[in-house]
Amino acid sequence: MDPFGSEGELVNIHTAFIQGQYQSVLNDFDASSFSDSNKLPIQVLQYRAQCALGQHDEVISAISDSDAKSTPDLAAVRTYASYLSKPSDAAVTEAKRLAESSSDNLTVQLLAGTVLARSGDPESALQLLQKHQGSLDAVALIVQIHLSQNRTDLAVKEARSARSFAQDALLVNLAESWIGMRQGGDNYQKAFYVFEELAQGPSSASASSLIAQAVSELHMGRIEEAETALNQALALEPENSAAVANKLVLDTIAGKDTAELEKKLTSVDKEHEMLADLAAKREAFQAATAKYNPKFEP
Amino acid sequence: MTSHPSMLTKFESKSSRAKGIAFHPKRPWILVSLHSSTIQLWDYRMGTLIDRFEEHDGPVRGIDFHKTQPLFVSGGDDYKIKVWSYQTRRCLFTLNGHLDYVRTVFFHHELPWIISSSDDQTIRIWNWQNRSLICTMTGHNHYTMCAQFHPKEDLVVSASLDQSVRVWDISGLRKKHSAPTSMSFEDQISRANQNQADMFGNTDAVVKFVLEGHDRGVNWVAFHPTLPLIVSAGDDRLVKLWRMSETKAWEVDTCRGHFQNASACLFHPHQDLILSVGEDKTIRVWDLNRRTSVQSFKRENDRFWVIAAHPEINLFAAGHDNGVMVFKLERERPASAVYQSNLFFITKEKHVRSYDFTKNVESPSMLSLKKLGNPWIPPRTLSYNPAERSILVTTPAEAGTYEMMSLPRDASGAVEPTSTHRGTGSAAVFVARNRFAVFNSQNQQIDIKDLQNTTTKTIKPPAGTTDMVFGGTGCLLLITPTHVYLYDIQQKKQLAELAVTGVKYVVWSADGLHAALLSKHNVTIVNKSLEQISTLHETIRIKSACWDDAGVLLYSTLNHIKYALMNGDNGIVRTLEHVVYLVRVKGRSVYCLDRAAKPKVLTIDPTEYRFKLALVKRHYDEMLNIIKTSSLVGQSIISYLQKKGYPEIALQFVQDPQTRFELAIECGNLDVAVEMAKQLDRPQLWQRLSTEALAHGNHQVVEMTYQKLRNFDKLSFLYLSTGDQGKLNRMAKIAEHRGDMTSRFQNSIYLGDVQGRIEMLKEVDQYPLAYLTAKSHGLDEECQAILEASGLTEEEITLPTVGKPVSPPKAVAPTFKANWPVKSSGASSFEKALMADGDETAVADTNGFAEEDLLGEEEAAPGTGAIDEAEDDDAAAGWDMGDDAVPEVEDDFVNVESAEAGAGGSEADLWARNSPLAADHAAAGSFDSAMNLLNRQVGAVNFKPLEARFLEIYQATRTYLPANPGMPPLVNYVRRTLNETDSRKVLPLIPRDLESVLVNEIASGKNAMKANKLEDGVTYFKKALHLLLVNAVTSPSEVQEAQAAIRQASQYILAMSIELERRKIVGSATDISSFSDDKKKRILELSAYFTVPDMEPQHQTLALFSAMNFANKNKQMGSVLNFANALIERGTNAKFKETARKMKAIAERSPTDPIEIEFDTFGEFDICGASYTPIYAGEASVASPFSGVKYHTKYKGTVCKIDDVAAIGAPSSGLRLTV
Repeated sequence: MDPFGSEGELVNIHTAFIQGQYQSVLNDFDASSFSDSNKLPIQVLQYRAQCALGQHDEVISAISDSDAKSTPDLAAVRTYASYLSKPSDAAVTEAKRLAESSSDNLTVQLLAGTVLARSGDPESALQLLQKHQGSLDAVALIVQIHLSQNRTDLAVKEARSARSFAQDALLVNLAESWIGMRQGGDNYQKAFYVFEELAQGPSSASASSLIAQAVSELHMGRIEEAETALNQALALEPENSAAVANKLVLDTIAGKDTAELEKKLTSVDKEHEMLADLAAKREAFQAATAKYNPKFEP
Repeated sequence: MTSHPSMLTKFESKSSRAKGIAFHPKRPWILVSLHSSTIQLWDYRMGTLIDRFEEHDGPVRGIDFHKTQPLFVSGGDDYKIKVWSYQTRRCLFTLNGHLDYVRTVFFHHELPWIISSSDDQTIRIWNWQNRSLICTMTGHNHYTMCAQFHPKEDLVVSASLDQSVRVWDISGLRKKHSAPTSMSFEDQISRANQNQADMFGNTDAVVKFVLEGHDRGVNWVAFHPTLPLIVSAGDDRLVKLWRMSETKAWEVDTCRGHFQNASACLFHPHQDLILSVGEDKTIRVWDLNRRTSVQSFKRENDRFWVIAAHPEINLFAAGHDNGVMVFKLERERPASAVYQSNLFFITKEKHVRSYDFTKNVESPSMLSLKKLGNPWIPPRTLSYNPAERSILVTTPAEAGTYEMMSLPRDASGAVEPTSTHRGTGSAAVFVARNRFAVFNSQNQQIDIKDLQNTTTKTIKPPAGTTDMVFGGTGCLLLITPTHVYLYDIQQKKQLAELAVTGVKYVVWSADGLHAALLSKHNVTIVNKSLEQISTLHETIRIKSACWDDAGVLLYSTLNHIKYALMNGDNGIVRTLEHVVYLVRVKGRSVYCLDRAAKPKVLTIDPTEYRFKLALVKRHYDEMLNIIKTSSLVGQSIISYLQKKGYPEIALQFVQDPQTRFELAIECGNLDVAVEMAKQLDRPQLWQRLSTEALAHGNHQVVEMTYQKLRNFDKLSFLYLSTGDQGKLNRMAKIAEHRGDMTSRFQNSIYLGDVQGRIEMLKEVDQYPLAYLTAKSHGLDEECQAILEASGLTEEEITLPTVGKPVSPPKAVAPTFKANWPVKSSGASSFEKALMADGDETAVADTNGFAEEDLLGEEEAAPGTGAIDEAEDDDAAAGWDMGDDAVPEVEDDFVNVESAEAGAGGSEADLWARNSPLAADHAAAGSFDSAMNLLNRQVGAVNFKPLEARFLEIYQATRTYLPANPGMPPLVNYVRRTLNETDSRKVLPLIPRDLESVLVNEIASGKNAMKANKLEDGVTYFKKALHLLLVNAVTSPSEVQEAQAAIRQASQYILAMSIELERRKIVGSATDISSFSDDKKKRILELSAYFTVPDMEPQHQTLALFSAMNFANKNKQMGSVLNFANALIERGTNAKFKETARKMKAIAERSPTDPIEIEFDTFGEFDICGASYTPIYAGEASVASPFSGVKYHTKYKGTVCKIDDVAAIGAPSSGLRLTV
């Protein structure tokens, strides 16, 4: 039986993980209460949750060299954590090595795939991920990589094939919603339904689903509703960089002063892509103005 | 057969055996005649016994209300027929004649007749106006059990224990008793003949048909209201249906089912149904067309004797051994659901329709649910799924059935739904986009099903659950008779419970944060966590509720629409004539469904509850607005405010000085209290005011009140305690003046005025005391004088030992100079709001533009001048795309689908392709091309000021969606084309649209002008120019508006710059006489030029006024005259005009300018934006392609000083703002 399947032992912890309820993943599930075969997946999920919470170093130090050697899953986790804490070529090389040696291991696929995709090698990441055996996590990752490459068409294909075998699974819904956010039109509304359902359900709410809800509302021009949702997300996690970044966007649209938020974003995540992007654009602006040579009347 | 759930008992009474029942045609009343000789009048709606009538001797079997008159008739076992007035509550008269029990009595529908049937085997017709028997119909040869008039024709039907039913023709009777003039000779002949025709001497009523078929006595018979049908019930346990034509009548069919004597029967007034009751303790409902049993209802112990139908509404009453029950056959509440601006509902014909609140349009039928459940049982609930556009309908038929089906895209008539999913369940509701919950009350189980109708989860509800409704996203509310539970489907656990009894309906607010739980007589408001917020009780049955957008619950009872606030306050909004089911409130409109399932819009006045809501939420501005715009003044609102502890607000409503005084005292607003007391000037009020003021320590008011009350003693003491010696002296004088010795004495003590005291004592011949006083203060001379005056010597007087004289205490602090510092309690924020509102003019006055405090209010509506003169820039719209040289146009659009791998272009790239607008290119991040476009369109060269705007747009169009953990968020692109999916048409959102620039920057700029903050003004207007330069609007009319705004902003900047330039030269000097002539001339010119740019009239007025004053100060009387004239002609401010007139009078004496300036009032000229000198008509000039401001030709090629962006005189194609 598929341990992640709807009746499997892992379904709840896995769902919590997908819903972004990382604290719940760490606190509400006791590994010892699961059957032996599921101990490792639980461990991996919990490590990933820790990474998502920014506790990379704890994860790295928790996995010993010998563990990493004997278990490719843990090796992948360690590589993943170290890349997230500080992107390095070593980690990428290690990820590539894992991708070579244990390409049929799901954890390796997911985590090494993430590292590869992040390191600017989406092609290898996709190659590795294509080997998955019906894992929705892999599908979701593939969809995201396609989308980040602006290949909505391929993402749609991937999601469609996943829907055919996984029906109405949460991850499929999410992946479709991500795609919908690119397609626009009615799909905004559909995506909103999915995000909202997650964000407003008392058992599924998390900052990240609230942010997703807010983003979808923002795209539909529902600024006030988006603001409400974002503020809820910020109330849950005031340091959440995605929430701050989107709040910054929202305030810009609303015509508010955003200097304060930009400062805040810098303080919570100075490497946030938005900041990098804006800095690059400022430079681009300067470069573009250089072509003009205005004369001023004294 | 089991009892049927859809028979709804509305009222039950307990009494002895009920033999007769009658509904009042209009009021919610029934008359019940009892075996115990009593007649009861019940209000079945309220459940109260209104009256009892007890004059019959023995059982009363027949009873009927008159249709229009306040009368009713009864017939009893005392052989008597009595006619009663329920107004005077007494029997008017008795009709005697029957020789045995009277079984039934009925009024005729139009004639003043009563028909009665009796055990004496006769049927009699009586005229109740002249109280006479007009016809006796004989023929039955056993007890006649029932006789009724036909509702339209001149027919009577009767039933008898002789096993027959007879139909009688009474047209003869009508003829006889109608006006005699209408009777012709022939009629008389024929009637005479008829007379002979009847062997019993009965001429007026003849038997038309005798219907035989019952095997036993017939107990009841009734006509169909419209069809030629008769139904009868007999002791053979059968209900028989008969049909008649003009010439014959025959038995149609028999309804078999009663297993005891059938007592009574009737036709349903509106539906094709027959209802019958019997001694087998059942009420049975039959299908008229098929004669099959539709439903039946059984009582445990009571045999039924009689049944009656309400003539108008869907109500029936049945009398049994222990009283009466009033019931409905079916729920009349139409199943409905509201989603956004649409109502979905099921009509009486079981068609699904929708209703659009915004358009007030009802759609044609979309689906027909004819096949759902039993044809006689309407669906109970409807749940709508907007994501799938499907509905879930439940019906109580077949022990509960649900069916899910999709709504067609377009309503094309009542078609049968195509693909449906159905199953068993008593309640079903969508809980998510793709899930619904089904509750089965029999096995107490809730199934969560997906859209394919397969169960994905099963939940065991709390014991005794009776109903299940939506409970917010992912949750259900489970209802038991005593509790409501909030149940989370995902976690499969109960989140909360609340003890509320008998909840029948739950209504969620639009934001999903609150719900109203409706019981029969209670409304409980809860939040989404099922925490009770408030509850209220209604004596009248609550029917429905809905939330308004502001969080006010409107609910309907049987006869009212009422409101409830979150704090439980409630009140009546309007009365209702018929029951309605509220579905939505919007503004003054309440949308509802009536019992015929027709959407209706009722108008309400929401003022009262809005006001109360604003009060509760402390939205004083809104309250103020309500007070101003509506006539919400009344005792009720005042007492409400007082009761709720807002006397200070109530104060604002009241005009009546007495009430105002009371309220002012209550809220400690002494100012108002003083004002009112002055108006009323009554000692009592001053008295109360003094007490209150004293408590406040406001001794100035106290002083005033004492003065008003002429309370001299208290005044003196007050002055003493506040240390006001001066006033105390005056009090002493007053006392002297009044000749009030005690007061003089007192005052002199307070003052420590020994001399005065002695004088006073002497005056009243109290020489001993005077002496004593003088002595004790050591005033020996005075002593001597007194002794002499009284002719005594010192030796003759024996004195007690006198101690040291005591001087009165003196106040240490000069309290009298000021009141005690008092906490400002009077001005609540509400009052402040009120005050601010009233003082608008005062605020405007402080704008500090001119030194003279003359700048009054200039509230003229924004002038249209600027817009009138806006250049016709339509030409810009004429430029086609080609001229703007969009880098790539549609034809070389690359379809990314064709490539199999590799990265594609982002949406941002598409924007740049899809649009010729600089703003869209900026959003795309293609700053290069954006600048290129601006350069071509408006000759822009200096982009530095636009950097913030470019980045703002760029930044507003990218959101960050967190996706897989560990991966960077997905960047998505915010569009302004929300419904567009064609990649060749998508365009980015541009923040700060035209509207926002107009209401923020432009408005602020104008305010800065008014407030004389010109530097700020220039900043605002420049910001506005830059925002508008890089922007996108939707329509040509908006383009014009934007162009007008650009021009206006430019003119303001020009004007302000001129004035700033002048100030720069003048510096802080107040007098310009020290400057050189050149400078003087320049200064005066600038002051004059300030009036030239095209500003709104009220601002031009300011410029003119300032120029006039400035000229006046510098004795430029010629200019003064010019400006004064211009002001008088164009000024918008009365005060200014007044001043101008005065100035003009002075200036006209010698209208010359000592310093000649270059300013021609009558000539047409522009001001150069760089040199601030005139450019006369015809003179060569260049303009900025963006701001349109003109310059002398020497400035060509430099950056415009007004807009800071465009190169003056550069070639341009015109700014594009729409795609």
